[in-house]
Amino acid sequence: MEILTSLILIFVGAALINNFVLHYFVGICPFLGVSRRVDTAFGMGCAVTFVISISALLNWTVTYFVLRPGAPLPAWVWRSVGGDPGTQVDLSVLSYIIYIFVIASSVQFVEMYVRKFFPPLYRSFGVFLPLITTNCAILFGSLEILKHLQDPTRLWGLHQALALALGGGIGFTLAISLMAGIREELDMCDVPGPLKGAGVALIVAGIMAMAFMGFVGVDKGVQSAVSALLR
Amino acid sequence: MLSTVALILAAGVLAVLAVGMGFVLGWANRAFHVRTDPKVEQILAALPGANCGGCGFVGCAEYAAAVATGEADVSLCGPGGAGAAQGLAGIMGVELEESLPYRAMVHCSAHTDERLQRAEYRGEPTCASANLVAGVQGCTYGCLGMGDCERSCKYGAIRVVDGLSTVDYTKCVGCKACERTCPRNIITIVPFKAENMLVVACSNQDSAGDVRAVCAVGCLGCRACTKVAPDLISIEGALPVINYDNYDPTDDLIAKVLEKCPRKRLFFVGKPTEADLAAVAGEELPDEIQADFKTTVDETEWRG
Repeated sequence: MEILTSLILIFVGAALINNFVLHYFVGICPFLGVSRRVDTAFGMGCAVTFVISISALLNWTVTYFVLRPGAPLPAWVWRSVGGDPGTQVDLSVLSYIIYIFVIASSVQFVEMYVRKFFPPLYRSFGVFLPLITTNCAILFGSLEILKHLQDPTRLWGLHQALALALGGGIGFTLAISLMAGIREELDMCDVPGPLKGAGVALIVAGIMAMAFMGFVGVDKGVQSAVSALLR
Repeated sequence: MLSTVALILAAGVLAVLAVGMGFVLGWANRAFHVRTDPKVEQILAALPGANCGGCGFVGCAEYAAAVATGEADVSLCGPGGAGAAQGLAGIMGVELEESLPYRAMVHCSAHTDERLQRAEYRGEPTCASANLVAGVQGCTYGCLGMGDCERSCKYGAIRVVDGLSTVDYTKCVGCKACERTCPRNIITIVPFKAENMLVVACSNQDSAGDVRAVCAVGCLGCRACTKVAPDLISIEGALPVINYDNYDPTDDLIAKVLEKCPRKRLFFVGKPTEADLAAVAGEELPDEIQADFKTTVDETEWRG
């Protein structure tokens, strides 16, 4: 029961309260670059959700077993060379390079797979996949997971990592689709000359970010609602 | 001791990951290999890359794919013209049939002061919206002169001169953008088999009296032309239609047709003749004339 509550809270937190784009300001480049039309923006959002989940799955595995302080693999190696069991080998300095590496190669693999076996799917969102291999939102998701794997007393399991990734991806999809909708309407508007194009898009993004700040504090309500519902 | 182990572990983890991923990707590259036709790349390189959509496909890439599979003809590219068609034919190994350059023709020749029964129009200065309003001008067939075609042309080849869309045949590439955008459908894209083409410069299908009432120059449908040259010109509805299959600009018959036409609504478009060039040789070219719309809103499609 407690696990389910925590999963829902992590999901809602990543999707709305701490929206990756509008709260942490990561993944801004696709948010501004691919938000001209709602259908492409939605495609981009789906691709990001997919990649962020895949990378969360792989990176949680690597982090849990190899990179975190007190991980099984380095501990076993350390013991087998006769080291003092009281000290730990911490490989979390490698997190950035390994995350980028894992994300890039897994996306490459998925792209090849989709291109071979699902050509229509590849045509609709395959073009976005290479664009988001080095997207900071993806890396940010993995680094958030790392943060929760560094404290050995409150380790995140795979389900929690996946809830965060899914929430983050869906939050990104929501933000970019809303943005694209607004920008489609904006094309019809009489925007003052100096603000045309990027200027007004950034203002809109700022106002959207402020609007999303309104979700701060919702977590308490969500928590009590969920626990009341599950009781 | 601790740092040495950490160092070796770090190097080992990276090496194992690199080798593992490299192996998986290398295997996937072969197992999931998708055969792409090298012709598509070649064709794409031979096309001008204007992505104008004149060929009927979404962009140059789709057209290239269609040509490579043999679905599309090699001579559809307007901007690329004969050169691109030649290149594509070479890649595909097909014989190029005689490919004619396509050019826009405006089937109206009335300038502002020749169009009668005009009412003041203060709406949005686009043909598309003016066309929705009755009574902007008497002729419901002819050019509105608001320049939708001019704005649609990526090549600056069509321009409103004295309220009439006029094609600059040195710039026109036949991309059909103006044909698609004209709300009155008075622009057609015609294969130019000669440098100068005869055009019926009127679209008014009404009877002579009604035409006279709304236009100082429009075709009356008098059939004088088809009597002189029945093979070349036929009458459909109230307007003469030129059968370009039988068209030869050097034919003497055409001079007679031009002479017979009471409204002089048949004339040549295309490259200027030497006589025309000589006539204007001394004149200075005026600067481009911009329409002076009294509006505070600038060049956007929507002026709400």
